[in-house]
Amino acid sequence: MKRLPPISGEWIDRHQPVSFTFEGETIPGYQGDTVSSALWAAGRRVLGRSFKYHRPRGILSLANHDVNTLMQDGPKLNLRADVVPVEPGMDLMAIHTFGGVQGDRATVLDRLSRFLPVGFYYKAFLGKNQFPFWERVIRSITGLGAVDTTTPRLRTPKRYDFCDVLVIGSGVSGLTAAIAAAEAGADVVVVDENARAGGSGHYQRGDDGERSRQTAALVAQVQQHPRIRLYTDTTAAGYYADHWVPLVHRDYIAKMRARAVIVAAGAYEQPAVFRNNDLPGVMLASAAQRLIYRYAVQPMERAVVLTANSDGYRAALDLAAQGVTVVAVVEMRSQPVVTDPVRAVRDRGIQILSQSCLYEARPNPGGDGVASVVVCPLDADDQPQTGFTQTLACDGVVMSVGWAPTANLLYQAGVTMRFDETVQQFVPDRLPAGILACGRVNGVYDWEEKQRDGQRAGLAAAHRLGLVDTAPSLERAIAPECPSHPYPMMAHPKGKNFVDFDEDLHYEDFIHAVQEGFDNIELLKRYTTVGMGPSQGKHSNMNALRILAHLRQLPPDAIGTTTARPMFHPVPMAHLAGRGFMPERRSPLHNRHAQQGAVWMPAGQWQRPAYYHQPGLTRQACIQQEVMAVRTRVGLIDVGTLGKLELRGPDAMAFLERIYTGKFSKMKVGSSRYALMVDESGVVIDDGVVARLAADHVYFTTTTSGSARIYRELSRLITMWQMDCGIVNLTGARAAVNLAGPRSLSLLQPLTNVDLSPEAFPYLAVRQGAIAGIPALLMRVGFVGEWGYELHVPADQGQALWDALITAGKHLGIRPFGVEAQRLLRLEKGHVIVGQDTDGLTTPYDANLGWAVKMDKPFFVGQRSLQILKQRSPKQLLAGFTLPERFQGNPPQECHLVIHKGDIAGRVTSIGYSSSLKRYVGLAYLQPELTAIGTEITIRLTDGSMVTATVAPTPFYDPDNHRQATVSREEAFV
Amino acid sequence: MMRASPVQDCLSSSATRRDINGMSTVWSTPEDLQGDTLGLCDRSCLTRWGVKGAGAAAWLTALGLPVPQHPNQWCALPEDGLIARLGTTEFLIEDGWEGAIAPQLAQQMANLPSKVYPVLRQDLAIALTGCAVPDLLRQTCSVNFQALDLTEQPVILTSMIGVSVVVIPGDRAGRPFYRIWCDGTFGVYLWQTLVTIAQDLGGGPIGAAYLYDLELGR
Repeated sequence: MKRLPPISGEWIDRHQPVSFTFEGETIPGYQGDTVSSALWAAGRRVLGRSFKYHRPRGILSLANHDVNTLMQDGPKLNLRADVVPVEPGMDLMAIHTFGGVQGDRATVLDRLSRFLPVGFYYKAFLGKNQFPFWERVIRSITGLGAVDTTTPRLRTPKRYDFCDVLVIGSGVSGLTAAIAAAEAGADVVVVDENARAGGSGHYQRGDDGERSRQTAALVAQVQQHPRIRLYTDTTAAGYYADHWVPLVHRDYIAKMRARAVIVAAGAYEQPAVFRNNDLPGVMLASAAQRLIYRYAVQPMERAVVLTANSDGYRAALDLAAQGVTVVAVVEMRSQPVVTDPVRAVRDRGIQILSQSCLYEARPNPGGDGVASVVVCPLDADDQPQTGFTQTLACDGVVMSVGWAPTANLLYQAGVTMRFDETVQQFVPDRLPAGILACGRVNGVYDWEEKQRDGQRAGLAAAHRLGLVDTAPSLERAIAPECPSHPYPMMAHPKGKNFVDFDEDLHYEDFIHAVQEGFDNIELLKRYTTVGMGPSQGKHSNMNALRILAHLRQLPPDAIGTTTARPMFHPVPMAHLAGRGFMPERRSPLHNRHAQQGAVWMPAGQWQRPAYYHQPGLTRQACIQQEVMAVRTRVGLIDVGTLGKLELRGPDAMAFLERIYTGKFSKMKVGSSRYALMVDESGVVIDDGVVARLAADHVYFTTTTSGSARIYRELSRLITMWQMDCGIVNLTGARAAVNLAGPRSLSLLQPLTNVDLSPEAFPYLAVRQGAIAGIPALLMRVGFVGEWGYELHVPADQGQALWDALITAGKHLGIRPFGVEAQRLLRLEKGHVIVGQDTDGLTTPYDANLGWAVKMDKPFFVGQRSLQILKQRSPKQLLAGFTLPERFQGNPPQECHLVIHKGDIAGRVTSIGYSSSLKRYVGLAYLQPELTAIGTEITIRLTDGSMVTATVAPTPFYDPDNHRQATVSREEAFV
Repeated sequence: MMRASPVQDCLSSSATRRDINGMSTVWSTPEDLQGDTLGLCDRSCLTRWGVKGAGAAAWLTALGLPVPQHPNQWCALPEDGLIARLGTTEFLIEDGWEGAIAPQLAQQMANLPSKVYPVLRQDLAIALTGCAVPDLLRQTCSVNFQALDLTEQPVILTSMIGVSVVVIPGDRAGRPFYRIWCDGTFGVYLWQTLVTIAQDLGGGPIGAAYLYDLELGR
């Protein structure tokens, strides 16, 4: 093959040579070349190997469907050589070979093809004993490329885009549609997967430059139109409801929202089926024409053109014009319509063999190309008359026997298609609102008619948008000739007449599948795997359908089509992953934690300090030191992640009565109370503390994970119940810390104007004042079981508060503590954490929270369910347990099961080592009969071993709450 | 210095800072000219206040403030401030660089009439400016801002990279000028993500002085 002299409109830039390597050989090319075009120009015929039989394969479509020429460039996998542009320094290897495309050792599989019948996978896996063997074999010889796990993550941008009218396809009909819609005032986007717009108008010339000139004029008009954006190199990869269309470009993926979508995606040229139709050099006519007019590459030197439409004659003319010897045009039709291209071929004296077929192609001695073809006349039933064959020497075959509509997105959009015998293809029958089709996908092939069809679609879209008053008729004109042969398939006793090039399925495979009972198109697809390769049946589904229709003697309409799902072409994972937006919340004190060596743990969307790392100490030691600081001195923890809600209005307290299980209407102003929330079924969903700041004003907290959900639900209930109060979510607007420990009073008092004396500020009291000049809310609470204060301030002053407390607490031995220490401290007190010690079925009675449920009030959410549940015996109860003081070995962990008499009798929800008590303490759900104090329970560890524990009363630590009721004189005045 | 921006630790340490409303604010950076392409400016220092409730609109009107007639609209306040109607009964008031209306409103918190509830606003407040703002928005938000009629003074409540935001689109000196507010606890995530994308687009963080001049037409 050779590079042709410069051709008008060629895509290559001859001033910019590009070289790359293919399997170690340096290949020259030009900017604008694809890998396949450069290799073909360099005389390389074998560009890849087939998936199953490892047969040599070359160019077939040059239209993004040549999946036998997938290549790998370092970490870049499965590059489609027919469309990937060459780049300097590419180091390409054909995938799926054992020793390269020329010396592939797996070609032996081609000779074993009779042992690999249709449905081979199902048959091979039928025997259970054979499964491991075949799994090993198949894993070793299949696979597409080698993943490099060290490949750095690509953060490919995702973006949104918008337009009035999205036109998919920039052939003549798409361009015309875009212009018509834009002229009517619409904002139009045209997308095309090719590097340049124009579609087949650029290359299906028939040695007549007029079409390409008209196409170029249309492209220029589109490019210059102020209301049209043209996106080339961009694939419309799918259709989703409400006209969402993902547009995939090599550098990004865009989620396009259109108000109307015009599908002008054209049609896939379909191969003819004859023996050895996969040899390098046998290609679709459109592929040959693309080679010529885009890349200025001569496809072959001596060609035989197999055709069943005028496009084949155009291809013959294009080949002849570029110096290719057209040995013959093999015409499959008995009475072809005499169009201008047919006349032109005749006038050139090219031999036309009417009502004939290619019975087989014969390989050259190297087996890597065509040496000749065997031509047969067809009888009246279109059967080859094999007694009258003739052999024509050639080095290439060009096929132009028909088309299949690129209707994937139309199917996804819910378009009803029907089979039109006059054009031998499925065409849109009923279109959903806002979806339009034009051009070949609409069954329109005539050049002038495609332009009229495009204009009709453009105006129809504009009419839908209210830009024009009159809706144009969407009737199609009658086609002057049928563009597709109804059955371009030739059986051959030696097979290798391929229907699906992805999966190496030949004609007999379909016959055998139907004979075995897989005679439904969906079953046939799965059994044969037709259309399941990387090209997703773009060149095989229609022929498979025709074969099935032929075998069942039904029209194609009665067979139906398989489901077309997104994506249209495979989309790189990097595109789908994109930048990976993962919202993360940070407390206003985040950097203070980081400065003190916080080791982070996720808590919903938040990052919280699990503990603060101390050099030279283990994780456990750090946590224990933090615990002891709280128990003996003073500790400071960030609790700003708690939900923080504010409720104001005359109905505020009445509203709380309805949403919480407890009573609140008689709470004193300046006091706080534990609050438990259940859902309608009586399941615990949240808890917190309610602080009454005024008669009509409360401030209350929720769990960290519950804030947004609870706020939404409460807002809904206020509206639904028409209560006179308003709720504000202050979760992000306030910082909050818990200052806990026997020295907390003496630390805080000098900083605040609030009287902290136990008499003035007793346990569970709430005060508003200032701390270090910062307006603050102070709450006397004791979640961790020590004298302590929860301090809430505006978020932007949280760091100032933290700094003031840390500075003032230095001489008192203050230490920040993290979530792990807090969990241990509250566990010693037997306090429940909703979400850890409860699950989606836990009622207050299960969790020993019945004391927080006040049934003697008119109504609260879940009350009715709890009334019922209270009458029933609980199936499980939360109980405390301890391990022996000198327990050695691995302790149980959360979620380990309690085993009783060989059955599951409960599970551990919390466990930790208490330095104060010198033993492990924990909480577990147990069958009620096991909850008596002193009962021994058995807990199964992950490794199956058993640990014995003893049921113990809670709180484990300070059971009489002395630590929160009094503070020693010494600690109060340190 | 008492107040801290939600993104104070993300801001350039080499920038020139000023104390604005008690918050250390990046005033200028050597990279401020990238604002012509795409600049992100932290405006959290501006004073703001919120109010909600069935009586909020009437209360604001009684105070002599211009109240947007419809939800999702905003009105200008003196000294380049604004009042945005976030819903039927919720408002955001933000002062300009030299305004002080929000603190005055906050002082009335103890004497609010019935059905008027104060909302403490501790947002991350940022502004985007520059010709590449539409590109940034297309990568981060599903709203078609280009289709909005700016003369209607729209306020958009939407989600940006998974975070609830309030957006007021606009322009200054012929360039896109978008104001964005979000919960301050999402601030670092939003800021860092937007900066990463902005840098890909040739922009980045800028100081408040750039916007100060732009907003006051200097």
